[in-house]
Amino acid sequence: MDADSDVALDILITNVVCVFRTRCHLNLRKIALEGANVIYKRDVGKVLMKLRKPRITATIWSSGKVICTGATSEEEAKFGARRLARTLQKLGFQVIFTDFKVVNVLAVCNMPFEIRLPEFTKNNRPHASYEPELHPAVCYRIKPLRATLQIFSTGSITVTGPNVKAVASAVEQIYPFVFESRKEIL
Amino acid sequence: MLKLCTVHFFFLNILIKSLNLSQFDLQVFKMSGQRKCPDCGSSEIVEDAHYAQNQLVCADCGFILTEGLLTTTFQDEEHLQEVTYSRSTGQNEQLSRCKLRGIKRVQDLCKVLYLPAVFEDTALSYFQRAIEHPSFHLVSLEKKEILVGCCVFVTCRQHNWPLTMGTICSLLYADKELFASVYLCVLKELELDVPALSLTDLVKTHLNSFKLFQSSASVPAKFAEDKEKMVARTIQIVELASETWLVTGRHPIPIVTAAAYLAWQSLQPVGRLTCTFARFCKMAGTDLPPPAHLRLKELNDILLRMASQLAWLRVLNVDKKTVVKHIGDLLQHRHFLLRSSFSSGDTEDQSATAVGDGSVSSPQAAGCSAQAEGCHPGGKQKCSSVRRPLLPPCLINPRKRLRTAALSPSDQAITGDEAISDSEIEQYLRSQEEMQEFSKAQAWH
Repeated sequence: MDADSDVALDILITNVVCVFRTRCHLNLRKIALEGANVIYKRDVGKVLMKLRKPRITATIWSSGKVICTGATSEEEAKFGARRLARTLQKLGFQVIFTDFKVVNVLAVCNMPFEIRLPEFTKNNRPHASYEPELHPAVCYRIKPLRATLQIFSTGSITVTGPNVKAVASAVEQIYPFVFESRKEIL
Repeated sequence: MLKLCTVHFFFLNILIKSLNLSQFDLQVFKMSGQRKCPDCGSSEIVEDAHYAQNQLVCADCGFILTEGLLTTTFQDEEHLQEVTYSRSTGQNEQLSRCKLRGIKRVQDLCKVLYLPAVFEDTALSYFQRAIEHPSFHLVSLEKKEILVGCCVFVTCRQHNWPLTMGTICSLLYADKELFASVYLCVLKELELDVPALSLTDLVKTHLNSFKLFQSSASVPAKFAEDKEKMVARTIQIVELASETWLVTGRHPIPIVTAAAYLAWQSLQPVGRLTCTFARFCKMAGTDLPPPAHLRLKELNDILLRMASQLAWLRVLNVDKKTVVKHIGDLLQHRHFLLRSSFSSGDTEDQSATAVGDGSVSSPQAAGCSAQAEGCHPGGKQKCSSVRRPLLPPCLINPRKRLRTAALSPSDQAITGDEAISDSEIEQYLRSQEEMQEFSKAQAWH
């Protein structure tokens, strides 16, 4: 099996986090009273609102900043964020949907082989960090992409990055290194 | 009369000006040829600053030729350089109390662990570099204590001295999670590179703390064991574990403890088979970490699989209690046994279908060439039926996991900019009656 041969890897995006601003002050008590599916956390000063159709949880602050988590793609994140802004508009606030930005993308990928982690760490010294006493996976950072990969010995890789393209290129970059340290037949 | 006064005034001015001899004059004097000391006549005149006041002094006899001013005027002071408080009091050259305490703690920790002097110097240099960082300087005392432990730990790892985080945490009475976060922070800030923990050294150090090597009140004679033999056999078992995926990603100490127990039992199985793991640890004076039982089970499983490949053991019906007796033989032939009892994933499928066919020749063709030598054809079918892929335990016994369904085609067509209908939003708003009910319910709180 050659590393250059085309191997189709399925990258499953599990979570997309995005933020947007409403450019107006929001009365959290009013949202908690008039909105369904909301949890008001008075001690920290935020409201959690959950949408059903794109399964999204939003954290709303009184300054007008909203963080949405739980989407499975960037488009779905925008879809859910706009619905959230419309809901706040219906509640009576002068909401303007601005500054939408995808902040973090979490994806999972499975390699078709197991990986020898101590050997992998030795070959990729400055970028890879492996502490079996702390965490069973190797933590590999790609600075130019601002992406972090967690590589497990079973071949499963968890990638976090600023957007979907960075995540895909991170997996592409790591494949040859991981292929080198795969488990050989005894 | 007037003229005399003005002239007098003029002379007075000059006189006052000449009395205000400043540094410039001394330089003028120097420039005007070599001076000779009026007292001893030597020409060795040096300019010396005594209490920041320049003087021309004879080097031989100490005669002071000229003196600068003992007081300064307001105009002169404007041209003087200011010295900051921290410089004049020498604050920056001294070490603060926090740093002094930290340095002492590093030295104490190195002494307690019996580390060589080189380690102490390295650890001190790391500590002094780290404490300057705002992320370690402006934190709680607990974190500063942990920083001391981290510096010593990093030094030991870099010199391949087997020290575990558990040891350091117990010495400092530190919280493990906090230690982990400070350790990762230190690695990032100081940009250090730490090599992996070597298991062989760890085995030797960990077994040093076992109290089994001499018979005493708590250790009967038949339980005491020779250290060299036990260390050698434990290392072999740990190497076997690392080849069979039992070590990757797991805490090293439970594996070492389980391997030590198996090694100890196998060296004299007659009297020791009845001794339980817990009793063994109590006798040895170490604590029994909870994962060690699982590691022991996994090790026994691997050994049983290997035992099923040895011709003379297949007859004996070995089970997990009696496999300990044969560990010596198993370890001697471990490379061959591992190859014959485990296969990679793809050949497993091929040999499974071949068993279904019932023919002897096809397993031989399907199996790896390396494995074809050992087993005689008669036992080949049995070999392939008990063979299992060499995978990490978590893949052999996978935990059921809820995975969200993949996106349906309609979901995949979302662009994010579709129109929003009112009815869709209404489901997220409360009606008037609901709001009244809610506020009534709240009023009871």
